[in-house]
This record gives sequence, structure tokens and C-alpha cells, in this order.
Amino acid sequence: MSETKKKVRVAFFDFADCEGCQLQLTYLNTALLDILNSIEIVNFREVMHERSEEYDVAVIEGSITRPHDEERLKDIRAKAKILVAYGACACTGGVNGIMRNHTVKAALETVYPGRKDKMETGLIRAVDQVVKVDAYVHGCPINLNEFAAVLKGLLLGALYKVPDYAVCVECKLKENVCLYEKGQICMGPVTRAGCGAWCTSNGNTCYSCRGLLEDMNKQGQLDILEKHGVTVEMLKDKFSLYNGCKLEGNK
Amino acid sequence: MNIKSRDSKYLKGACMKYNLLEKTKVSELVNALKKKYRVVGPKEKENLFVYGDIEDAGEIRLEHKPPILSLKKYYLPQEEQLLAFKFKEVKAVPVEVKKENLVIFGAHTCDITGIICLDHASSIEPRDSNFHKRKKNVLIIGIECLRPCDEHATCVTMDTHNPKGGFDLMLTDAGNNYIVQVNSTEGENLINEYKFLFKESDAKSEDGLIKMRQEKEKWPRSLKVKTDDLKKTVDSGLKHKEWESVKARCVSCGNCTNVCPTCYCFDIKDDVDLNLNNGTRSRVWDSCQLKEFAEVAGGENFRKDRKSRQQHRLLRKFSFSVEKYNRFFCTGCGRCTRACMAKISLYETMNNLVKE
Repeated sequence: MSETKKKVRVAFFDFADCEGCQLQLTYLNTALLDILNSIEIVNFREVMHERSEEYDVAVIEGSITRPHDEERLKDIRAKAKILVAYGACACTGGVNGIMRNHTVKAALETVYPGRKDKMETGLIRAVDQVVKVDAYVHGCPINLNEFAAVLKGLLLGALYKVPDYAVCVECKLKENVCLYEKGQICMGPVTRAGCGAWCTSNGNTCYSCRGLLEDMNKQGQLDILEKHGVTVEMLKDKFSLYNGCKLEGNK
Repeated sequence: MNIKSRDSKYLKGACMKYNLLEKTKVSELVNALKKKYRVVGPKEKENLFVYGDIEDAGEIRLEHKPPILSLKKYYLPQEEQLLAFKFKEVKAVPVEVKKENLVIFGAHTCDITGIICLDHASSIEPRDSNFHKRKKNVLIIGIECLRPCDEHATCVTMDTHNPKGGFDLMLTDAGNNYIVQVNSTEGENLINEYKFLFKESDAKSEDGLIKMRQEKEKWPRSLKVKTDDLKKTVDSGLKHKEWESVKARCVSCGNCTNVCPTCYCFDIKDDVDLNLNNGTRSRVWDSCQLKEFAEVAGGENFRKDRKSRQQHRLLRKFSFSVEKYNRFFCTGCGRCTRACMAKISLYETMNNLVKE
């Protein structure tokens, strides 16, 4: 890219989330300087005060809950050339999607006891359940290498392709002992890869934070879990921890 | 060095060379090798095994079940850079294979067979030069299995349970000693170099070897289909109802192909640095079990459903490979069965295909 070429203006926006994924970006450290040769960050609440309403790429963090969030998101979509769903909350609804297992009223009472009348919330949705999404950066939190790949893809005009295969692929290539081999349970077989089997390579299990595979064999996975002594209630929890918004009947 | 002519079917070749290595000398041999080579071998990883770098001879587990990944990772790494390119200069140069003298210490005959298969696949045109560059610098010291790993191994049916080449030296446990079979000039050179560690073999040891191999014929066969009928079973069984059961269970995790010693399919990917100028082109392992594998431009997919993908896998192992390379591409190691969370078993599938 020539030095004189206009930099791509990138703006970050957050909705219902913990902002942890935006913080991840600051860990890019000096590598961030390289990418700043090609992009200009014009809106990023976590690291700067200045704000701009002119941007090419809108990076959306968080899931969408209240009516005015929906309006705000649609407004951003109208202004942006490219819209990126950033992090599990934006991509799949994330842990916020657990609310789909309850009524809004029950959720308010549980989360804000004594203050429920002052709080406003609504049906939790992933970003693509409200507006068109051009690129996804999955994960809770996002994986920096993958975000870099998405950005580079946008800048080079060759969109990054999210893997559409199971975490098991990356896990096996790293020669991890399968958690099922150790009598533990794992959502790897139905969760999309791209994280490099981050959790399972570091002593954790897969929680399906990157979302369920488009072409998952749900019954096959249920059978595997059942063979390992998992109850129906646990199964429901396993599938809806990060994917409540995307489960059948919840769409 | 004891050179004898034998006609036993268990001691193949007219002229075989055998030595003895005292078990107490194994560590000394490994430590001596480590001075000149990168030594890798089977090591424990939690309740399983992996092939890995040997820091200390004591880490090697000659008694082991096939490690999680086979030896193929040393010949066709999970990810390998092929080209380095620069956009501005419009320039691309090949990334040379790093020359490395490797000793694989303690591989089973099934895994050695895997390398023989990959050699066939990499030798047809266009030759896979990276595979051959690596292979040239690898010495294999095998360990003969004297008992079956478990019921998942099908090495007896695949006839890979005895040493039949593909190695430089083969160790067979004979009590206080390992009988060491020499199978290549490189293997012989190695023995000569470390002569002080080896003893001459004797007729008693070699007769013992024949007896041990005769005993191995009694190993249970979990794969009941006769070796000669394997191809026919897969070819004519594609409409069998067994495949519906396989389809229902498979979650397409790709474990069966990633752990397979003979699966060599790969994908190509490009990575560009954040400066958007320098980049590399790499090949990474791919799997016919993944949905995208047979997807082509326009979105057409030749093997959309799990049934056709699992069928493809067995066809590649027992049918296409016979037509193309005149051999099975199943080494009987049993990894695919062990690694399957959905408990799809190669031998059960095959056994069921011959049932009504």
C-alpha cells in the first residue's frame, strides 16, 4: 500500500458486553504500529477520547438488547462500508444469550434484584440478527491473530475466511490428549475452529465461545455427550452458554 | 557381524545381518546418537504417547501404544512454509527445507509402514521434493511389537505386525538383549560407528526370533475380513446400511484423518505480515472429513454429507490406493478407531459391511 494512499478509517463501538475484546487489541503492542500505517482508528472508547462519525469500517462489540441499541446499530451500519462483528457477544450473542432460556422479567429480577424497574433490557440478539455483517471475529475473548487476519483481509481485498470445521482439528494437530479420553466433556467437536485450540491446549475445556458449526451433527454430539454420562440439563447448558441466540427455536 | 542365509518366511531376504544390544546399553546408544543427531521417539503425554524430542534417554517408552500423531509429522509437518513473497517487489522465493539429521528411535512397524506409503504417494510426478529432502536425512530405529497394542489395532490383518523394511535398524526384545536387525547401509554404518555397544548375534537368538514371530500369528484379529477381500468389501459395500449408522455418528472432527499415518492431503494458505508487503505461502494438513474439503467454486460440493466423506476415507485406504500404488494405505495402527469420540471403529465398520 503506498504511503500516500488514504488510510482506512476504523471505528469501534460497544453494546452489551464487557469490553474485554477491545482491550485485547491493546495487547498487539508494537505490532499495532505496523497496522496503523494502513488504518486510522477514529473511535475507540477504551483507548482514546476523540470520536468521529466518519468511518469506513465499523467494528461492533457486544450483543444487541434494547430498542435504542438496535437503532444505533442500524445507524452505524448505514454509515459504514464494512461492518465487523467482533467477539462472541457480537457474533453469536455470547453468554448474554443465556437470557434466551428465561423470560425478560425473570432475568431482570435475577440480575437486578430490587432495581429491576430502573433497568431496561430486551430480547438478546447477535449483531447479524439485526443488521448485515461482512466479517466475523469470533471468540471470548477474540484471538488477536485472527483479528489481524481479518483486518489484513479487508485491506488487501481478500476477505478472511472463518474456518468451518471443528476445534478438534486444531487440537489434534497440537497433539493434545482428547478430553473425552480423560473422561471430561468438551464442545470442541461442534465448535468452529480458528482459535488454535486455545483453551484445550492450556488445560481448559472448549465452551463453544466461537459458535456452533453451520453443519454440526448435533445429534451425534448429543450421543457423544450422553455416552459420557452428561444429563439433559447439562447438555442444554453446554449448548446455550455461548449460543443461546443461535439455537434452533431461538433465532 | 553375523551374516547368515535363511529361508524362514519370518527372516526375509537371503542375506540378513543381526547384532545384539544389551538392554543396559540402550541409554548409552541414545546419548551417543544425541551428540550427532536430533533424536525423537515415543514419550508419555498424560495417559497417552506422543513422538517428541528426547532430552534424556530415560524418556523413551519403547513399550507404547501408537502415539497421538504418527511419524508423518516429521516428513510432512502440520504446517510448512513453501514460499516467501513480497508484494511490492512482485517476488517469490521457495523456502528451503531445513537440513536436519534426525533419528527416530522406537517406532512400531505400523508407523514405519506409514512412511513407506507416504514415500509411494510422494514419488509419483510431481514428486514431493520436500518429503524426499527430509526422508534422506532420517534414520529409523524401530522396535518390534511382541504383543498387540489393543483390540483397535488391525496390524495382523494388514500384515504390518512384523518388520518388513522401511527401517535402518530394528530392535527385537530377547530378554537381556535386543536383537538388532540391519536393513540399510546407513544402519550398518551406525552399528560400525558405535561398535563398542554391540555384540555379535548368535544362532540361538535368531532361532528365538523365528519362534517369536510364529507366536505373533496367533494374535487375535479384530478385523475379520480377509486381507484379500478388503478392497472388494469397501467397493461393493457402498450401499450397505452400516453407512447410515456411520453417518449418524460422525461429527466431522477430522480426528481419523489427522492421526492417520498415511493421509497426506493438504491445503494451501497465504499469510501476510501486518506491513501488508511480506508474506508466506504454507501448506497445512487438510482432511477429507471436513465439509469444505470437496467444495469447489460456485459452492458445489462433491461430498456434502458425512456418509460420502467416511466412505471416501475407506476407499482411499483399501481401494483407490490399491489401484494407484498397489498397496493398502491402512497400516493397522488403530489410531482412527482410538481417536474417534463417536466410537466409529474401522474394524467394526468393515466387519459389519460383510454382514447382511
